[in-house]
Amino acid sequence: MPPRGRNPDEALPEATAAGRLGGFLRERWDLVALGVLAVAPLVVPALGGALGGQVTTLFIYCILALGLNVMVGYTGLVHLGIAAFFGIGAYLCAILTVPMYPFQMRFATAAAVSVVVTALIGLALGAPTLRLRGDYLAIVTLGFGEVVKVTLRNLEQITGGMKGLNPVPPPGAGLKVGGTDLGLAFAIDPRWFYYLALLALAAVVVAMRRLENSRLGRAWVAVREDELAASAMGISAVRVKLSAFAMSSAVAGLAGCLYAASLSTTADPNAYDFNRSIMVLCAVILGGLGSIPGTLLGVALLVGFDTVLAPWADSAIQQWNINPSGSSLLSFSGWRLAIFGLALVLVMRYRPEGLVPSRRVAAELHEVHP
Amino acid sequence: MSLSTSQPLTASPLLDVDRLTIRFGGLVAVSDLDLEVPAGTIVSLIGPNGAGKTTAFNCISGVYTPTAGTVRFHGRRLERAFTPRVFWSAVGLGLVTGLLFAAAAVDVDRLWMAVVKRGMITGEPFTLAGAADRLRGYFRAELAIDQMAGKWRVVSADGTDVLAIKRNLDEARALRNELQAAVTARRAGPGTIPDPTDSERTGTPTTGDRPAIKEEVLDRLAAGKSRIRWRGIIGLVAGWLLGAAGTMAVWQRGRRSPHVVAQAGIARTFQNIRLFPNMTVLENVLVGLDRTIPGGVAAMLFRTPANRRAESLAQSRALEALAFVGLSGEANRIAGQLPYGDQRRLEIARALATGAELLLLDEPAAGMNPSETSDLADLVERIRARGVTVLLIEHHMNVVMRVSDRVAVLDHGVKIAEGTPAEIRRDEKVIEAYLGGEP
Repeated sequence: MPPRGRNPDEALPEATAAGRLGGFLRERWDLVALGVLAVAPLVVPALGGALGGQVTTLFIYCILALGLNVMVGYTGLVHLGIAAFFGIGAYLCAILTVPMYPFQMRFATAAAVSVVVTALIGLALGAPTLRLRGDYLAIVTLGFGEVVKVTLRNLEQITGGMKGLNPVPPPGAGLKVGGTDLGLAFAIDPRWFYYLALLALAAVVVAMRRLENSRLGRAWVAVREDELAASAMGISAVRVKLSAFAMSSAVAGLAGCLYAASLSTTADPNAYDFNRSIMVLCAVILGGLGSIPGTLLGVALLVGFDTVLAPWADSAIQQWNINPSGSSLLSFSGWRLAIFGLALVLVMRYRPEGLVPSRRVAAELHEVHP
Repeated sequence: MSLSTSQPLTASPLLDVDRLTIRFGGLVAVSDLDLEVPAGTIVSLIGPNGAGKTTAFNCISGVYTPTAGTVRFHGRRLERAFTPRVFWSAVGLGLVTGLLFAAAAVDVDRLWMAVVKRGMITGEPFTLAGAADRLRGYFRAELAIDQMAGKWRVVSADGTDVLAIKRNLDEARALRNELQAAVTARRAGPGTIPDPTDSERTGTPTTGDRPAIKEEVLDRLAAGKSRIRWRGIIGLVAGWLLGAAGTMAVWQRGRRSPHVVAQAGIARTFQNIRLFPNMTVLENVLVGLDRTIPGGVAAMLFRTPANRRAESLAQSRALEALAFVGLSGEANRIAGQLPYGDQRRLEIARALATGAELLLLDEPAAGMNPSETSDLADLVERIRARGVTVLLIEHHMNVVMRVSDRVAVLDHGVKIAEGTPAEIRRDEKVIEAYLGGEP
């Protein structure tokens, strides 16, 4: 790992307690965030209810976005079909676990199988298309996303068509721990799933960091910065891009598995459409391309706004009886997309590198080099 | 055309360029270039602007594919060989594509229904043998039993023809066997089945033990077997051909690629600097060391001891390479923020880090002041002292004349002279090409 020297221009953290605390937060944001999130369900009772499920979904989107970040952030390949891999992961997990099919694997096995298969599908899509550049690759991934959605809808015997596959049993179903069925515990208390998703997210963050500072991560960035120079260094650009594609797909597949299990259904194929891909892409760009904390923050803001804040604000408006006529102009979700768009426009105008930019992308966008 | 008159070259040069020609449309950029670079020497390629020097470099380093002629390194052509691995991956990928095509052709949705879902309906435990049996049944277009709304149905293998509905599973089974016998007999030949008596497709069997089945339905069922088989075979073959041909086409197009050349042991720098400007100086060199770090994704994810050792070894080698070019203190700076001359030296360090035996330097002294230029000449000589052969394109004649063992002169894509620096200095053609310029 390259030594991460502190930039000399940056003043050392002030010796005050506040300064020290700030420095600690900046250095170890990950541990702080993990600690807060791990303690939260014990302190906040609402996380045992619907909110717990919403935050779990948020974690799952974080995993999905980290997967997309491998392609878009590190390797610089525009991918508009990440939701397809999310969907493939969800459906594979469902097929391998639902009671209507004979496989009925444990969740962990099903997750492992679907991650591997999703990665292989990513490779299969990437192999013939990665020689395309820029916009052309974006179109291919966009098309693939649509193809997958329509295929999932039309293979009715396999995927259940618009009904989706359900019920996906909760993880740990059939496992007895201390006399209680773990699956039942998962089904009753959303906090179990909260912790599972948090654990998975932490594992993915660690994995991404390790890759970032390894041979492969450097090769990804090198190919993004200058493909010809990278291949003149003996790096096979095609192979590097393929690995990014496979890694991206695998992580998205994992997110899909968790998603299907947390909802206990795959939902209908429209849940994996273009809108979802774009939402996640926006989250990655908003947070900061190629930056792990940025990606997490982007998802927390965009998806959190969409799935946690908007329903909460709507119910609050209803409770306070501000909008008795039910006009959409006065409901929060009526303005949801407008706020969403405005926020994106403002961020792109004033901070194009994202909210928590990666060092490399920030330098790229501000042309600091002579 | 070679004017080489001086010392004979060694038996087998490290790099042997033979009648290299590169044509872009009607423009001949390099024409019939012969060039030999013996191991352990510094050979310079000079010539006026637009003489085709960089084009020749791009050809040697695999960026361009030559129109004609060969480039040999260690006596071997710099192309990816056709190894058994290429062959087997073509076969394997073809098979994967073939299976996908076949799945689409035989209707994977119905296949799934026949193999997986029908195994569940009778409530028996799902076994692989049973699934294999149903798979065979699907491709033999055998009649099967299905369940809908609590009733048992005798259906064709793909479920499109519903032949009868029964309340009782055993009755349905008996009828299915009877109908299957009729279908099998029809497949064996015409005239073995008496005329059907019932035109209702879903009707109950009527007189005696004659199955109630329409003639045309029977024909269709009888033909189902060859139809499904043909579809499967055509899908498999078409997919296999496409997959294998695609793999071969991709291999063919990637035969001469810069990374193949680099992996063979030729590294290069670029005339217009091509660093990874937003990575640190150290990371730039580490990219050059990429192939010296063994281990796959799993090793990186789990930070195995071997992976850690390899990473730290690579890091110390990168620092050593930086020290060699005189950039020791800059390891953590962003490469794009370095001064121009340092960027050139970083590019050389990165190229050296690949462990190349031959280094192609494309105008390394461009834009440098006299003292930097002299430092660079020192550096080139030190590179040779490390055992790395150098092929140099340069316009600074003091560098060329000082370091080169041999000099080749290109003009309008044609080599007009080759020899020692002293010979080149006196060569009239060279003087003419430069119009009384620098030599």
